[in-house]
Amino acid sequence: MGNNFRPAARIRYRVRYAQGVVVGAVLAGVAAAQGGLPGAVGEEEFAARRQHWAWQPLRVVPAVAEAGGMVDALLAEVQADAGLVAAGPAAPHTLLRRLWFDLVGLPPPAEVVARFEAEPSEAAYRGQVEALLASRAFAERQARHWLDLVRYAETLGHESDYEIPNAWRYRDYVVRAIDADVPFDQFVREHVAGDLLPTPRRNAAGEDESVQGTAFWWFAEQTHSPVDARQHESDRIDNQIDVFGKAVLGLTVACARCHDHKFDAIRAADYYALAGFVRSSRYVQQPLFEYEPQGTEYLTAVAAQRAFSTAWLANGGTPPLEGGAEFATRDGDEILAHADRPAAWLRDNDGFGASPWSEPWLENPATTPLTLRRLPGAWWHSGIAGTAREGVLGTATFTIQRPFLHVRVAGRGSRVRVVVDGLNLLRDPIYGGLHRYVDDPEPHWVTFDLRTWPGSTAYVQGLDQRAPDLADATRGTSPYDDHAWLAVQAVLASEHREPPHVATDNGATTVQEANPTPGLQAAAAALQQARDALRIAPTLPAMGDGTGVDSYVHLRGKHDLPGPTVPRQFLAALADVGSPPALVGSGRLALAEAVFSPTNPLPARVFVNRVWHHLFGAGIARTVDNLGALGDTPEAQELLDWLAQDFVASGWSRKHLLRRVVLSAAYRRAATNTPAADERDPRNRTFHRQNVRRLEAEAVRDALLATSGLLRDEAFGPPVALPHEALDPARGMPPTSGPLDGAGRRSLYLAVRRNFLSPMLLAFDQPTPFATVGARNVSNVPAQSLALLNDPFVHHACRAWAERLGDQRAAFAPALDAVFLAAFARRPDPTERDHCRELLASAAAEHGVEPSAVAPWADLLHCLVIAKEFTYRR
Amino acid sequence: MNPAAGISRRSLLRAAANGFGLLPVAHLLAQDDGRTRVPHHPPRAKAVIFLYMDGGPSPQDLFDYKPRLVADDGKPFAAKKEPTQFRDDGNTLGPRWPFRRHGQSGQWISDLLPNLASVADELCVIRSMTANFSEHTNANYFLHTGHGLQGRPSFGAWIGYGLGSAAADLPAFVVLNGGLIPPGGIDNFHSGFLPAHTQGSVFRTRGDVVGNIGPRERSSTWQQRKLDLVRALDAHAQARDPGGDAIEAAIANQELAFAMQSAVPELTSLAGESPALRALYGLDHEYEHTRTFGRQCLLARRLVERGVRFVELTCPNTGHDRWDQHSNLVAGLQDNCRTIDQPITALLLDLKARGMLEDTIVLWGGEFGRTPFAQGTTGRDHNPFGFTMWAAGGGFRPGTSFGTTDEFGYKAEQDPVSVHDLHATVLHLLGIDHERLTFRFGGRDIRLTDVYGTIHKGLLA
Repeated sequence: MGNNFRPAARIRYRVRYAQGVVVGAVLAGVAAAQGGLPGAVGEEEFAARRQHWAWQPLRVVPAVAEAGGMVDALLAEVQADAGLVAAGPAAPHTLLRRLWFDLVGLPPPAEVVARFEAEPSEAAYRGQVEALLASRAFAERQARHWLDLVRYAETLGHESDYEIPNAWRYRDYVVRAIDADVPFDQFVREHVAGDLLPTPRRNAAGEDESVQGTAFWWFAEQTHSPVDARQHESDRIDNQIDVFGKAVLGLTVACARCHDHKFDAIRAADYYALAGFVRSSRYVQQPLFEYEPQGTEYLTAVAAQRAFSTAWLANGGTPPLEGGAEFATRDGDEILAHADRPAAWLRDNDGFGASPWSEPWLENPATTPLTLRRLPGAWWHSGIAGTAREGVLGTATFTIQRPFLHVRVAGRGSRVRVVVDGLNLLRDPIYGGLHRYVDDPEPHWVTFDLRTWPGSTAYVQGLDQRAPDLADATRGTSPYDDHAWLAVQAVLASEHREPPHVATDNGATTVQEANPTPGLQAAAAALQQARDALRIAPTLPAMGDGTGVDSYVHLRGKHDLPGPTVPRQFLAALADVGSPPALVGSGRLALAEAVFSPTNPLPARVFVNRVWHHLFGAGIARTVDNLGALGDTPEAQELLDWLAQDFVASGWSRKHLLRRVVLSAAYRRAATNTPAADERDPRNRTFHRQNVRRLEAEAVRDALLATSGLLRDEAFGPPVALPHEALDPARGMPPTSGPLDGAGRRSLYLAVRRNFLSPMLLAFDQPTPFATVGARNVSNVPAQSLALLNDPFVHHACRAWAERLGDQRAAFAPALDAVFLAAFARRPDPTERDHCRELLASAAAEHGVEPSAVAPWADLLHCLVIAKEFTYRR
Repeated sequence: MNPAAGISRRSLLRAAANGFGLLPVAHLLAQDDGRTRVPHHPPRAKAVIFLYMDGGPSPQDLFDYKPRLVADDGKPFAAKKEPTQFRDDGNTLGPRWPFRRHGQSGQWISDLLPNLASVADELCVIRSMTANFSEHTNANYFLHTGHGLQGRPSFGAWIGYGLGSAAADLPAFVVLNGGLIPPGGIDNFHSGFLPAHTQGSVFRTRGDVVGNIGPRERSSTWQQRKLDLVRALDAHAQARDPGGDAIEAAIANQELAFAMQSAVPELTSLAGESPALRALYGLDHEYEHTRTFGRQCLLARRLVERGVRFVELTCPNTGHDRWDQHSNLVAGLQDNCRTIDQPITALLLDLKARGMLEDTIVLWGGEFGRTPFAQGTTGRDHNPFGFTMWAAGGGFRPGTSFGTTDEFGYKAEQDPVSVHDLHATVLHLLGIDHERLTFRFGGRDIRLTDVYGTIHKGLLA
């Protein structure tokens, strides 16, 4: 009957592709003559680029002091070189406030300041450092820095700002990992390939921590209904590589998308070698635990299923028919996957068990009549052990060469989808048909019309999961009910619109028993009990491994100008010499190892530089996201390298690194201008003093919560919605509105919806999550002042603070001391005290109340909040 | 202070040894503030009013007259079709309204825009626009930022970055929100990687016009009294602990915010405008949305008058999903045109009467056009291959039609003008060389026009 592709579509694609091949061949031919891809950088030039400082091994720095003094000794050399005298130490209260904001993002409480003020000894400072490093607040603060790098968001942006289900679990994972001081190399390995580690890191509850790191790949913006899905895939992967390259390597790898990098030793082939890793991986909601740690419960449930069948026969029940009807393929049908050949399938979650199922099974032990079912032949089946188990079942990646796809399924409350060119956001108007609900326990066909996508790569997935799929029609809801399951037998590519005929399609031979004997009832009860023992695994958006496919180079960055195919591998200029490791599946595990090969100095150098940036307001190399040729060349390279080596030697301990730096004299210097030194080094590239910095958006809001007493010390969990009143209505408006004060939760836990970010946090330069931001903007806009002047939350917090003072307000001087300590970590001087007393008096007259009443104090506290000292750290 | 003093001798040597090292140093010195930058050449215009027609208005029904479409109405489409978003392509759909020539220049405008037709001689109609994207969000980002993905600075932010604000008490880039934030959200107006002060400030047209603009104190005297304490505390702190230049800037900023609290209400109070002028803008029009858009247009003039560089208007919600007429084209276009026709005409006449049109660019258009063939039977799908925008004033050549589409009004044929070209041309008229307005981000010097952009001389007066 011939091919059902629309001829025009097929021809258009072929012509375009053929043109691409021809143009590509010509370009590649020209290039071959020149020894590389079109526009390739010559070997000599490439080798010269490889000599750039940041690519060199960490240099061995002579021990000019004991380890604790190395930071200062190395800086002293640089400063002496420049003829500078560094500033003296900061005042104790300034230092304490700096330390608190830098480490935990909160102001020191008044009583802590008072204690430290009384005895600002070295021991007391070290005591503060240790207490802060050990606090969860430390992890929350440092987690936000990391989230900036991975453009963390809970929605996909674009037109409708669809949710990324359970994205927030990744945020919690980062907090826990930093709290536990997971070695940084392990942390990054988990990001790259946490789903593939031979022994994943588990927490006390037995949950897999490692897999959660891979969520970071999926925070890219996504478009629904792109007209060109392949282009969209290319753009998405570009963002994924860009973020990976900048966050981990401090390199602009994505600049090599269209041609060899203009300045760095990165070839276009390197870019597409990395793209292959991503294209070989899949978006999946991964469970936080598989059945391995709870193997007994799972196997007990399967055994109870079998025991029930035995009991059924023993109690005189009719056995369900064996076999049943199979389908017969026709000319033009091609079996892409069949449960008879289990090895060809990919399972990213454990719900479908270790092998297909071909025995009778009881769907639901809790209902009568008891219904024993049997599917014809072997099926992947997620309902055997019970419905607590969820699963994602996938075919290998294939090229769409036939217009229709028939999938033989049975199930309830579950889904089947076709992922074309990696596009998961299957929505109308173009892609809605690629996603179907399965809600019929009898075997049946689901047919997909693929005529729009000839030549595209695709795979089929069956999903039995509670989390909403990206494709779910209604935001935030899932069709899942407690009895969902899915069985899949086969996937057929076909020339025929109609699925194959099944001779007697009553294959799921069903037998029922309305009056079970006590023995059968007991067997059903045992099964129910075994099922109830199975825990439901929470899931999060993570990487699943797909079919390993290498990517071809997109000449000039155009996906329809195919160049040569390049094998998946890490950047050639940084890779270990010798043969690349054999790849399994996507190969990401090998990628994770290659990133941390001893020949790659970048991860340590880049991370150390980032930490310095957060503690001084500027990196040792200023361009924290780009240490490449266009990046900054640091004044204190030896310091950077020594810190990196010290960091690696500590077992990549983040806490060790921060401790090392905050204990240095350099960190503790005053930020006050030092005219002589500033003349020679006004940009403070030699760190001869500390820098004055405005607090980050989150710290501004958190400081308001902390001082006013609204702060609720509660960690983790789903994000707190923003109040609708703060947002401009637009498409994709968040479904729920939240409280004005964000329930007192730290800003880390507020919703991060791409199209509906908090206006107050944005005003203070919280980055919009689209790319790696290692160094935030520090802007100075009227919106910041307007927020502090007039935002209802600010007024609310000041009033709450005044109320919390209670009886203290009656005694002006001690009360003022207390609020100054809380707001500025110091006591007021007599002039300030006079000013404040006058304001209270005026406020009392203005409001017609006593000066000790709430309203005047709320006004006074509001003034303190607006005062620059509140939002700046010196 | 001489910025070169910021580079130490040692770093210069080291940078020089590194070949490319000087670039980042220069760059580090360059990007920081919101000061007015010297134009690259003498400007023709000082400000832009962008009338953003969210959703993609239909050129075939408004400006791009094609006899062939009239002749082929209802027949199968006679040229090759590109893939469309909804893939529900129907037959050729001729214009639903008659076209006439107007003014001395004889520009073709359909009967849907009778008021605008009366000022045809002011318009420089570009019939050969092209964009790179068929989906709203990408196309919106592309039109606004020169890039199809989220995160780049908006057109207005680039201009604010380049020129700074000429207003003491208002930001350089203001969005007057008529009610519809376009797909892609407020990121269409974002500063991206440029300093945040360049970001578009979204003004609502009613209620609290600017976020947190209204003092919560009972009187401005009382707020002033509180701020006196803040000033005293700030001054005291600075005197005791000198060295925070950033703090000095923030103190100045607080004064701007304080000034805006009164400047914005003054701006939005139209009491000083004559009844005749208000009527001209349609402020007493029977149609609610005309009143809204009229108010936006009048506010736009007032903003430009006060030194704001870039004012963007978004559309009121007429209940037809913006200009996105996938179906029900006739009703949608009627209501949308009714909303904008009188106010825009009033804006042009008012600017002209005040002598402001000479140095104010008024720009009209959407992110793409629409197909000359039907979607279903009563709509048109998206079409980025050829569409119409128009400009007036500010050095654009008046009474001109520039470029053509093919005989179906489908694809740009003669003198295609890309979005990058349009950006380059507008920047040129503002005295900015689009190749020299750059910002270093992620290791690249990024421009609004990427590596593209041609200034079309035929568009210039």
